[in-house]
Amino acid sequence: NEELWVQSVLEMPKRRDILAIVLIVLPWTLLITVWHQSTIAPLLAVHKDDGGDSRRDLAAGLDSKEYCLSERDIVEVVRTEYVYTRPPPWSDTLPTIHVITPTYSRPVQKAELTRLANTLLHVPNLHWILVEDSQRRTPLITRLLRDTGLNYTHLNVETPRNYKLRGDMRDPRIPRGTMQRNLALRWLRETFNRNNSQPGIVYFADDDNTYSLELFEEMRSTRKVSVWPVAFVGGLRYEAPKVNAAGKVYGWKTVFDPHRPFAIDMAGFAVNLRLILQRSQAYFKLRGVKGGYQESSLLRELVTLNDLEPKAANCTKILVWHTRTEKPVLVNEGKKGFTDPNVEI
Amino acid sequence: PAAGRAPQQQRRGPEAALPTIYAITPTYSRPVQKAELTRLANTFRQVSRLHWILVEDAAARSELVSRFVAGAGLPCTHLHVPTPRRYKRPGLPRATEQRNAGLAWLRQRHQHLPPPQPGVLFFADDDNTYSLELFQEMRSTRKVAVWPVGLVGGRRYERPLVENGKVVGWYTGWRADRPFAIDMAGFAVSLQVILSHPKAVFKRRGSQPGMQESDFLKQITTVEELEPKANNCTKVLVWHTRTEKVNLANEPKYHLDTVSIEV
Repeated sequence: NEELWVQSVLEMPKRRDILAIVLIVLPWTLLITVWHQSTIAPLLAVHKDDGGDSRRDLAAGLDSKEYCLSERDIVEVVRTEYVYTRPPPWSDTLPTIHVITPTYSRPVQKAELTRLANTLLHVPNLHWILVEDSQRRTPLITRLLRDTGLNYTHLNVETPRNYKLRGDMRDPRIPRGTMQRNLALRWLRETFNRNNSQPGIVYFADDDNTYSLELFEEMRSTRKVSVWPVAFVGGLRYEAPKVNAAGKVYGWKTVFDPHRPFAIDMAGFAVNLRLILQRSQAYFKLRGVKGGYQESSLLRELVTLNDLEPKAANCTKILVWHTRTEKPVLVNEGKKGFTDPNVEI
Repeated sequence: PAAGRAPQQQRRGPEAALPTIYAITPTYSRPVQKAELTRLANTFRQVSRLHWILVEDAAARSELVSRFVAGAGLPCTHLHVPTPRRYKRPGLPRATEQRNAGLAWLRQRHQHLPPPQPGVLFFADDDNTYSLELFQEMRSTRKVAVWPVGLVGGRRYERPLVENGKVVGWYTGWRADRPFAIDMAGFAVSLQVILSHPKAVFKRRGSQPGMQESDFLKQITTVEELEPKANNCTKVLVWHTRTEKVNLANEPKYHLDTVSIEV
């Protein structure tokens, strides 16, 4: 009896029934799924990975209308809209940009990471290494990362607290973000083989700065360490490396301690992954680092001044801004102005 | 460590039927202007069928913004109108003339086009932070839609209170007695409503500080008509970020909200 029952159960869904169901249901399921998602993401069209293309497209296809509305001139710029998947499809030929972002919990954290993610989602072959300053990986960040669709790695390490002060204060002798950046460097060294020729670039991106898309394309060609100007640091409109006629960095255009070995902000340089893997003991110094010397503590283990590669049109363009949640201090511009006013920030 | 990689997805859809989202952004010259516009553009460029209306507080179009618009990477209308000096006092509402210029452009543009032109407009200040989900939510606005705003009113967030899909009140730290106790970043209006109320503008004469949104909305809608978005106004999809430290002095010790919301 049992055998008959089993046999009849097996025979019940006949092959042609299954085939019919699949052929009818599957296309409708696909259609409904696709139509439902169409409001969420833009259409895929041709997407060039050269960030400059959008400007060239505009120059060629610009269609501008001018007409007056009472006293106001109105210029309407009509551009061909280009849309793409989010993030762009992975390319086999582009070096991966590993973006290391330390982050900590505070009211604006989610907002900062949201708008940073919205920028990163434009960049092809980007790997976001987000390192929380926390005891455990938090649900907020876990969810946020998953929902962005980015290629990411989620790490955490807690900066020790200073128990002499109020319970929640971190140890002020360790600059914020240091342990988190170092953890990411260690992760890279444990994950990637020194002999493996997967090309990559490492960039330290704090979660409250502002990054143009052009910046990521500039850093992609880094052979050892590349550098560029950063706006709103050192009490200036911007700080920049000094570049001579031969295209070599020979100094630093800063007011605050220009004689630092590398008078540059964390956002102003990128390092080739190969170099990170080769100099496997190079880390940011944890303690005893004078203000403004953090970057030097890592870079002097990696490269000399002469080896630096200037980007951003020989360090004359601003592609990254050290935005913060307060008004930029411009006291070092002095009465006559220190930076070149023709450089737009 | 947790690692993730999104599956490559190609999404195709009926693009022509999608309502256009119009973002009206007043902007003014200061050191962080280009940075703010850059990161805002980076967000807007992720949204399909978004038309950016950028209005400078200036007597003439500036080089910086003109260059920026030319390379912005999304459809953009560049307007300008200067705020009269007498209205530049602290405590007075800002960007009134600029928002009205955006409204005027939209109205003028659509008076020659055949209806229906489905569209939704919202006021996007250049220093706020917008999640991509917000645009999904506002796209289905039929008349006027509302949602929570993070980091505003001295609180982690403000939001409309919703019962049975209708707005019944306001969870806010400041003057909850306003007819529409909502921030500029907390609502969107369908193009249809803007076109059918040609006189609805932001007021100057007789406007009290903090009443801009309320005075505008009561010209075009009622509380009963409001469409709550963002999961019945329980998710924060937009943050009123600013360039100063967050003020949480108005977080209540008593009469806490009925839900626990992440900002």
